Amino acid sequence: MWIEKFQIKKTNRVAALYPTTKLWIVFFYSVCSLLLSTVNIMGIPLLIIPWFLVLPILATLSGVISQFLKAMKKAAIIAIFIFLVQTFIIPGGDLLFHFGILYIYSDGLHTGVSLSVSILNIAGAFVWLFQTTEMKELSRALEDKGMNYKASYILLSTMQMIDLMGRNSKIIMNAQRARGVETQGNLFVRAKAFFPSMVPLILSAIISSDDRALALSSKGFEIKCKKTHILNVEYSGNETLAMVICIIITSIVAIGRVLLWILP
Amino acid sequence: MDTAIEFKDVTYCYPLTKTPAVKNLSFKIEKGKFYGVIGANGSGKTTLCALMRGFAPDFYKGELSGQVLVNGKSTIDYENGELALRIGYVFQNPFNQISGVKDSVFEEIAYGLENLGVEPLEIEERVVTIMEKTDILHLAEKNPFELSGGQQQRVALAAILVLGPDIFVIDEPTSQLDPEGTESIFEIIKAMKKEQKTIILVEHKVDLLAESADEILVMANGELIKKGSTQEVLSDIFLMEQGIQLPQMAILSNKLKQLGIGLPVTPITEAQATEVLQKIIKKKEGIQ
Repeated sequence: MWIEKFQIKKTNRVAALYPTTKLWIVFFYSVCSLLLSTVNIMGIPLLIIPWFLVLPILATLSGVISQFLKAMKKAAIIAIFIFLVQTFIIPGGDLLFHFGILYIYSDGLHTGVSLSVSILNIAGAFVWLFQTTEMKELSRALEDKGMNYKASYILLSTMQMIDLMGRNSKIIMNAQRARGVETQGNLFVRAKAFFPSMVPLILSAIISSDDRALALSSKGFEIKCKKTHILNVEYSGNETLAMVICIIITSIVAIGRVLLWILP
Repeated sequence: MDTAIEFKDVTYCYPLTKTPAVKNLSFKIEKGKFYGVIGANGSGKTTLCALMRGFAPDFYKGELSGQVLVNGKSTIDYENGELALRIGYVFQNPFNQISGVKDSVFEEIAYGLENLGVEPLEIEERVVTIMEKTDILHLAEKNPFELSGGQQQRVALAAILVLGPDIFVIDEPTSQLDPEGTESIFEIIKAMKKEQKTIILVEHKVDLLAESADEILVMANGELIKKGSTQEVLSDIFLMEQGIQLPQMAILSNKLKQLGIGLPVTPITEAQATEVLQKIIKKKEGIQ
């Protein structure tokens, strides 16, 4: 059976959860992150730091911890940069630290921690989602849940296009290098090579879009009927349990937050 | 023979221009025949194809006068996408025909059938059959973007063939291919001809058309300047004055004629030339 070869099989119980269930997990996780970022301990939203540990645990349970940590290194660099900029730039509140021209105020530290860890939390949740779910699975599941097939196509083709444009940019860079454009070296040299590389990339993408639209039309894309799929995305059977756990945790966090708000 | 496509006094202008891309076109395409379309660049060949498939004026907009009928019905009257079932269209650039949403050749070819709502089991059967016919079964699990130009064009043809239309409009499918890729595409087209499909092929490689087309349409400056049997059209040496490339054998025959060696018929293929020359040589040997 050829169709069997193109099905996505997963043995890990967490990774095998239905894509939209994983999307709900990301949503609940992000809601909890936002709620916890409003709880201050000594003026700083400290609770979101241990909350972040949930993600490596989830990645471990899903069997993707090494890929997760690798991807998070890049997110961590951005988060550290944001933390430093916010911490040293925003004035207000008590002066906590002073060294030369560097001042850290409590408001700056609060914003720095809140923003950088929230970014890590939300980015991490999506990293986990996309490391356990292929884009075609997600789009197929969303289509099953009622998303229009045209929206599903746009979602999927956009993600594929990023990959494709990356590949094309390498081809154009090589072609420009062959024509004598310097593309490697310091920041200034790379900046100079940016336009000769980007202009053909963007123009060719625009020009080919007409052909792609017509090619889709030739493949019956516009025909109004119920579309079928050779890719089946199946429920693992643990979706209800996963949703119940998510709702319980989110409820605890929400109730706790409200109580902290109401109680003196 | 029944008519597959009919042009009735068709003139078409693209948007923002008053110069027609094609003008006064009136001709019929008969079912089950293989038509070659030739002409210089900018002569209106691609516009002709776009009109047959209904992309003009539906997609490109612009002004159309006259009628293009497919199976007796105007292209304008067809519902959205309905023409995809009647006419298969293959483009010049194989790369742009890849849907961009499928990871493997098998899924890419199956995509059209998914769009038509065909059941998965039938999809599998039809895709495998077409992949065998086009000799790409060994590429089934490969990413379409990682194939060579020739392989991509074969995939593009298979993706349209699998939908099962009776008419095929193929616009310069070999323009970006090497000789091997070109040969493989022509093999598929010849197989389609055997299945009595109606084929309209725009192609600059007249030597290949000479071997397989039933009729040739010649376009120049947006007009159809000649339509007739392949032998009749491709042996018309006066077409060279219009910038039309003729088969090497027809050119050779003309040169021989200028040297005073007239051939009884103008050959347009290697086989014909061999036969004619053999006859002449045997005749001369017989005389001696």
